[in-house]
Amino acid sequence: MKTLTIPLPANNEDEIIDIELFVGLDKKKYEFRLESFLWETDDELSKIRDNTSISLARITRLKKSIEEYDKNWDLVQIFAPIENNNRIRVLYRKLRRKK
Amino acid sequence: MLKTKKLVKIFRSDEVETMALNNINLDISEGEFVAIMGPSGCGKSTLLNILGLLDNPTSGELFFNGTDVSYFSERNRTKLRKNNVGFVFQSFNLIDELSVYENVELPLLYLKNSKAERKQKVMEVLDYMQIAHRKKHFPQQLSGGQQQRVAVARAVVTNPKLILADEPTGNLDSANGEEVMKLLTQLNNNGTTIVMVTHSPIDADKAHRIVQLFDGHIVTESIRKA
Repeated sequence: MKTLTIPLPANNEDEIIDIELFVGLDKKKYEFRLESFLWETDDELSKIRDNTSISLARITRLKKSIEEYDKNWDLVQIFAPIENNNRIRVLYRKLRRKK
Repeated sequence: MLKTKKLVKIFRSDEVETMALNNINLDISEGEFVAIMGPSGCGKSTLLNILGLLDNPTSGELFFNGTDVSYFSERNRTKLRKNNVGFVFQSFNLIDELSVYENVELPLLYLKNSKAERKQKVMEVLDYMQIAHRKKHFPQQLSGGQQQRVAVARAVVTNPKLILADEPTGNLDSANGEEVMKLLTQLNNNGTTIVMVTHSPIDADKAHRIVQLFDGHIVTESIRKA
């Protein structure tokens, strides 16, 4: 078995999930962070009404959020928008530094 | 090997117009292993179908080995597909009425290989996939993992340059999923270009590059390994 699945409690944004795994005496540490970016806003989007423009504005903002994110963290997965489309969650994994 | 320029796909019904892909620019080199990720409905499978010439884009361009194939006729697309592309699907898509041997032999019949050539190639690939002992069985008599191994065998029996896999481990348990990923990685190590749609970050980690799609747009691309 090489895959271990660990059910996690519903965590809040900005909380870091630390996982320490011991294989014999060898300790491995994994850090995950579930981020939440703004998806729907009342500012510029409120002036735009057609679906294509709304989608483009959201995507542009999401791309910018991802581009500007801390480079020590690696994007793992983008989830579907939640909370009445207000926010979108993105899972990151901390890059492991070579010793 | 594959290049898209401003690729757009719009699905239209009587009243609704859905933009499934919006200005996709993607360049996939020969020998690369690319994973496409994103939530359901983001356009992953639509993109894979267009890359595999199963569907035409609404606008934009698709190049296959430098040739513009964006709007090839059905006949030319079929010719290009059967000589160059192998497909692996989540639900295996094997033909229930045909045996394992006959399922794998099918693409070679379309290529008009002789019976002796077909036998040699089918047995070679069944041996490679470690499923030769099941050659007389029918798909329903096999486990999910075995069925997917047969599906991979069918995809590679013509020695295609490109394999397109749409959630190849989606219907498998983790052990069988891992086996299928090992097979795909081996094929890639032997030079086959692989484009794989997946929901699994673990499977995606096997790829050289991960393309994240969202609402028909490429949101980000990341290199995983050299």
